[in-house]
Amino acid sequence: MELLDKLTILADAAKYDVACTSCGVNRAAVKGQLGAATSAGICHSFSADGRCITLLKILLSNVCSYDCAYCVNRRSNEVPRATFSARELAELTIGFYRRNYIEGLFLSSGVLKNPDYTTERMCEAIYLLREEYGFRGYIHAKAIPGTSPELLVRLGVLVDRVSLNIEFPSEKSLKLLAPEKAGASALKPMAFVRDGIRANYQDRRLSTVRRTRFVPAGQSTQMIIGASPESDYHILRLSASLYQRLELQRVFFSAYIPVNTNPLLPAPGAVPLLREHRLYQADWLMRFYGFDVNEIIDEEHPFLDPLIDPKCNWALNHIDQFPAEVNRVPYEMLLRIPGVGVRGAKRILCARRERSLRFEDLKRLGITLKRAKYFITCNGRFAKGVLFDPVSIYRELTAQAKRRRLKGAVDGQLSLFDAVAGEREAAFGVAVGMSGQAPRNMSPYGLQGNAVGSRQALPASGALAKVAP
Amino acid sequence: MNALMDDAQPVYLYDGTLEGMLTAVFEAFARREAPLNVAQEHCLQQSLLCSYIPILTDAEKAERVQVGVINKLGERAYDNIKQVFLSDDGEKGGVIVRYLLYTMRKGRGSCAHLANPAVNAFEEVLRQVSKEAHYMLQFVRFAQLRNGVYFSRIEPKASVVPLIMGHFAARFNVQPFMIYDARHGLSGVFDTERWWLVDARDIQVPEQTMVEDAFQSLWQTFYDTIAIEERRNPTCQRNFMPKRFWGTMCEQIPPQLRNLRPKTATPTQAAKQLAARNQTPHVLSA
Ligand code: SF4
Repeated sequence: MELLDKLTILADAAKYDVACTSCGVNRAAVKGQLGAATSAGICHSFSADGRCITLLKILLSNVCSYDCAYCVNRRSNEVPRATFSARELAELTIGFYRRNYIEGLFLSSGVLKNPDYTTERMCEAIYLLREEYGFRGYIHAKAIPGTSPELLVRLGVLVDRVSLNIEFPSEKSLKLLAPEKAGASALKPMAFVRDGIRANYQDRRLSTVRRTRFVPAGQSTQMIIGASPESDYHILRLSASLYQRLELQRVFFSAYIPVNTNPLLPAPGAVPLLREHRLYQADWLMRFYGFDVNEIIDEEHPFLDPLIDPKCNWALNHIDQFPAEVNRVPYEMLLRIPGVGVRGAKRILCARRERSLRFEDLKRLGITLKRAKYFITCNGRFAKGVLFDPVSIYRELTAQAKRRRLKGAVDGQLSLFDAVAGEREAAFGVAVGMSGQAPRNMSPYGLQGNAVGSRQALPASGALAKVAP
Repeated sequence: MNALMDDAQPVYLYDGTLEGMLTAVFEAFARREAPLNVAQEHCLQQSLLCSYIPILTDAEKAERVQVGVINKLGERAYDNIKQVFLSDDGEKGGVIVRYLLYTMRKGRGSCAHLANPAVNAFEEVLRQVSKEAHYMLQFVRFAQLRNGVYFSRIEPKASVVPLIMGHFAARFNVQPFMIYDARHGLSGVFDTERWWLVDARDIQVPEQTMVEDAFQSLWQTFYDTIAIEERRNPTCQRNFMPKRFWGTMCEQIPPQLRNLRPKTATPTQAAKQLAARNQTPHVLSA
């Protein structure tokens, strides 16, 4: 078979993998060797679906002895099969790398015979690339649960990142949809890799000679969203514990795309992209914004609101902590203002040392006020025309989202969108249809709605009492 | 000079070199004035309402500014000024002078006064230049030429070649390469030992190797295959990868225009050729 055909088959089989990132490790260049890695990662292209291409994301082989219900490569599917030789794979990686197409390799594989056999083949291929070709670029390898610890160690010293996919948010779904995988949970090898990383880190810190690094960019995992019944609450709690207990670098979500027909799986239809998007937003709040999972979601509302992002949702549920006075609140609180990102918060922090910031200044700092304006004051004043009341804020924010969606962005799930909008509005009860009026005690969030116009004094919360006009 | 011009802010005219720009900064401090802009002589439509002051580039004055900036604001600040200087923004001269007039008076910490208009304008240009440089790290595509050099043609919105050479020279230290900025007529050249810049306009390059053809079609195939049809999202794609870069990226060549030569060389053969060629450069036959 021509290499071009193999590439087509094995890239096609790998395309549903989502974890294509090249970040988390710095590896300086060495004279005479090809490649280096920068910890921020570099995206080299973007495919027609808008996803970043940073690594040669490919399977070593799509021959598989398992029969997972959701997967194109399952043994009972009649698809063309191909397997790379180690040399072909190395030549391909090096050729692409030299042309600045990629940062490195993301290698995964169908299960050839058994997990150990597969991992051995993967190790061989990567060993060739690292040793014979001296390749110093980024390598991410997917390990298969059930691989023996010795092989995990062998793999771990060759690559930058290892991922073990938990595939489904619960053991039950895994058993149902990937019965052969259910025998060996991904959690055990994950814990093994975590301990390896910890020990290696200690070793390297304490030793004066250069030591081999073990999975220096940490591990990640992936789970499929929307093919099984678990709630967002369940999923986010699971990922929180993966971050905390297993010290994962990333948890990836992959909206289920039907490739097989199977009574156990949802029928082909809309891909739950919006849901995936919201889960990622929640994930970011946990990783970069200091949110605890319990602040983002609770058992009573086990799904994230599709209409507003989780940060806005949190802010509306904790409206008593707002408005935030941008000239005073600490960094942690700046991060919690909807529409203010990490960069924005840092810039505010920096700029307000010199002068007291007005709304014009915020714009100059590059803060988009579209969402932020409802939740902040500058020197005790709201932005013009802002009505500080959760009901009307919710209304405004969802209207914004609707306009965006109508312009054709993100997901194309207009029907779902409208259905939820109706539901949520209905939940507002009497609040519906009374924009502009002073709200009474009927905020959907169980709080006193406070109508505060731009000219009115603020609620005299401690921090703000001094600056209120 | 008539009365109208007396209180108007002048425009300085300089020769387009970094030394010239720094001399202009020196003059602004000496004259205690903030020029409206520092513009390049030949790039300007002169207006009757401005007064123009030609600046004579003076290496000594330029160096005094350099030393002054480094002493007062630090190496980093000087690097930033050099970076802003690489911008294509016609107002960059005024931006640099106003930035220095403010920060040199206020001292080191003032570089972080992001809400100050002078600092803010400077940071903005700085950000644009670094963004452009980062785009290049992402989207530069090298093609292997018959003479063994990996060649890339780019058309960035700022003259960023000096900013990106170090990155590529480190990771590609085993291959000679050249990055040709067609818009600014500047090339960065690396010979596997060190890199340097050369002025270059309308350069002629040798043909690509056949190995190159093979790898380009492999990459195009990979690129097309890896996209998930059900998730097609051109808006998102263009946000991350603006169309203006597509012209120099081989995977963006529409299929019907791609190299139609018969693909005789499979990459495995290609690799063999590559290995052969590595030992004896220049002799690959077509
Ligand atoms: S193990 Fe399951 S998910 Fe992985 S390739 Fe085989 S069938 Fe697909």
